[in-house]
Amino acid sequence: MRRSEIRKQLRIRARNIIVQRDRRFFVNIEKKDLKRAIRRLMQMKNYTHLSTITALDVGSMIEVIYHVAFTDALVSVKVQTSKDEPIIPSIVDLIPGVALYEREIHDLFGVEFEGNPDLSPLLLPDGWPEGVYPLRKWWSVDRVLSKLGGKR
Amino acid sequence: MVSEEIWALIQIFLFPGFFFLFFLAFFTEWVDRKIVAKFQNRYGPLHVGPKGVLQPIADFIKLLSKEDITPRMADKVPFNLMPVLLLSLAITPLFCIPIVGSNALVSFEGDLIVIMFIMSLIAVLVFIGGWASTNRFSTIGSIRAGLQLFAYEIPMNLAMIGPAIAAGSLSISKIVDWQIHGFWNLFIQPVGFAVLTISLMAHLQRVPFDIPEAESEIVSGWIVEFSGKKLALIRLAKDFEFVLASALIVSLFLGGPYGPWYISPIIYLAKFFICVFILSNLRAAFARYRIDHLLAGAWKYLTPLALLQIFLIKVLGV
Amino acid sequence: MTFEIPFGPQHPALEEPINFMFEIEEERVVNVKPRLGYVHRGIEKIAENRNYQQLVYLSERICGICSFAHASCYSQVVEELLDLKIPERAKFIRTIVAEMERIQNHYLWLGLTAKEMGFETLFMYAWRDRETIIEMLDMISGKRVNYGMSTIGGVRRDITEPMIKRMEESLNHLEARAEYYTKVCTKDPSILKRTVGIGILRPREARALCAVGPTARASGIPRDVRADEPYAAYGEIPFKVVTYRGCDVASRMYVRIDEIKESIKIIRYALKNMPEGPIRVKAPMRVPEGEAISRVEAPRGENLHFLKSNGTDKPERWKIRAPTLANLLSLCRMLMGVNLADIPVVIAGIDPCIACAERIALIDAKTKRLKVWEGKDLWRYANEWYRKRYGL
Repeated sequence: MRRSEIRKQLRIRARNIIVQRDRRFFVNIEKKDLKRAIRRLMQMKNYTHLSTITALDVGSMIEVIYHVAFTDALVSVKVQTSKDEPIIPSIVDLIPGVALYEREIHDLFGVEFEGNPDLSPLLLPDGWPEGVYPLRKWWSVDRVLSKLGGKR
Repeated sequence: MVSEEIWALIQIFLFPGFFFLFFLAFFTEWVDRKIVAKFQNRYGPLHVGPKGVLQPIADFIKLLSKEDITPRMADKVPFNLMPVLLLSLAITPLFCIPIVGSNALVSFEGDLIVIMFIMSLIAVLVFIGGWASTNRFSTIGSIRAGLQLFAYEIPMNLAMIGPAIAAGSLSISKIVDWQIHGFWNLFIQPVGFAVLTISLMAHLQRVPFDIPEAESEIVSGWIVEFSGKKLALIRLAKDFEFVLASALIVSLFLGGPYGPWYISPIIYLAKFFICVFILSNLRAAFARYRIDHLLAGAWKYLTPLALLQIFLIKVLGV
Repeated sequence: MTFEIPFGPQHPALEEPINFMFEIEEERVVNVKPRLGYVHRGIEKIAENRNYQQLVYLSERICGICSFAHASCYSQVVEELLDLKIPERAKFIRTIVAEMERIQNHYLWLGLTAKEMGFETLFMYAWRDRETIIEMLDMISGKRVNYGMSTIGGVRRDITEPMIKRMEESLNHLEARAEYYTKVCTKDPSILKRTVGIGILRPREARALCAVGPTARASGIPRDVRADEPYAAYGEIPFKVVTYRGCDVASRMYVRIDEIKESIKIIRYALKNMPEGPIRVKAPMRVPEGEAISRVEAPRGENLHFLKSNGTDKPERWKIRAPTLANLLSLCRMLMGVNLADIPVVIAGIDPCIACAERIALIDAKTKRLKVWEGKDLWRYANEWYRKRYGL
């Protein structure tokens, strides 16, 4: 797979596509274009599946990366959303297999996926306090423990 | 007069009564475990006694000493009564089976029917025990036990009636007697023998028909809430059922004991352990069937085969 | 009548804690809800406070059975960030150990599945044969599980000539056994009755639900990272991606048994064509800023590690996606309409590894709190809890 193919398919600027190495592409897109981009990537030749969704804490924003796997490449679509209002359109209607990944990120980063019907806790225990998102950088181990009332 | 009474007491309590039967039950369990272990490339019981022969007794004593829990939600009276009833029902039929000579301790015309009745009663007790413990798993297990009864009971009883028709008597002792003077029923009614063996596997709830207590599916099923003494009694009762099953096959199809009183028990035991071997072998060779497989199989194959056997006996007049 | 029965977190059919809530209608499953979270260790959070060398060991402890897959995946991702070229011989050794792990895992799986079917004899046989390959792994790495073979920049131990001799013998044995299991599993009527047509996952569903590994391959989808994106020495070794079209538990069984045979061929080829040379290069402590993704075909399916570094000796973010999490939705699909008696077999069919699937979150609040208690407190707590609950 080449950069030009992705560019043509997604109709985005070339500078938004980073070729890290052979077989590794990172694509930066806007939140509103996410669904269209994923749908278009799915139509490409050699598409196999969506490997997973990664979320990262990057300062004031949360970055969500969709790893779309092809037989000859791995395209990572990056979307950013602000921490104050972490809402991202869900792609569960396009790919039903991402339901658990979205729930996982909802648990750990507090990102709301608009359109996902079931965002109940998947990994965190019942009775986990609201607003504690353990993988956000601000929630260090000590902070989480003091919130939960435990000791190290 | 007095000596006769002492003799009767010895017969009831020592040989071939309680004492002998208890040890036979434990020993049978050990043999069964050893055989299955050999088939599965394991050692089996090894440490208690020579070659682990005392292991079943050790297990029994250990279970007796364990904490006995009655679940809060359980229906207490049937729950507590069930193991005791199960054990007594499992021992009782053994007195009707001849071990020394061709005469059993308790022998009367129609004891075969009583044994059939008691065997069905055991399955009903299992159902009640599972139901009374009000656990979701045991509820499913007991329903399965009830369903299993529908599957195997009719072919089993038909197969047991076969020898009775041939011998013209409903007394086990008479059937044994008839075989001693004629042929073993195994040779006349091979189909009945096969049907009875398979149905007894289902009755004993052993692999491949351990559906009511499938460990990996419903966590031991109806047995799951029983612990301590109750579990010990249930396990002992299961050993007795196993003894009863093997003993029934020996009496009805393999000719039972014969010869003078000091030879006959040895011959009897030899035949008995051949049956134990067959039943253990079957247990090691299969995967568990599903309840619908068993019901379909029993009604499609076992029942018609058992009926065919009876038909053949009647037509050929053997 | 519908009634709910819980399956797990403690259940004899599951080696690991996961909870399925089944709605049962006359022994048929009409709905299923999975709930994870019983073995959280917060590995991804811990990783932010450890340096890269320490994380090799942590990565190996994500999962006991596919430990090498995680360790090699992690090593690869760090090597990519460091722009480190590892020696050819190290690549071959990684391939060999990865395939041995696959054989080990598949035998384990075969045994467990047999046990779920209630076929104890096959369980004992499969696990005895698994012992052969574990002994080989023990010989090479010095450990039976968590081999500690992979490290950043190569592998830690070499495979010597006498080892190769012994391995060849045991590979012959294992191949003969695999042939035997093919025969058993295709012929034995009671196995066929319990597996054929059970737990159907159609190819279209497998694609939509992003199934990976043997689960996808048993639905006829040739999805294999080893072939799609060759890592280690897979690019130089000819092998075939095993697929079956049955879409049921039986196909999953055949895929795995055939993969055992295929892995044996890969190991033979790799042992023969292994180049001489060093087995590792030295890796620096600090990793330059950047992002990298590495994928590995673990025995259970695709393993994905994402690593973001910030120029220090500790990672910024380390994301792990284990195959079980990817297959969990497919599993729920398979379980719909299945008979209660078939649930354990179907669950075993995807080879679930729960510890892998939920490495993510932070410390479970409850377990953490219990941990700092003395045994006495714990005892008192338990007693009070029961008193309150049951009024004892």
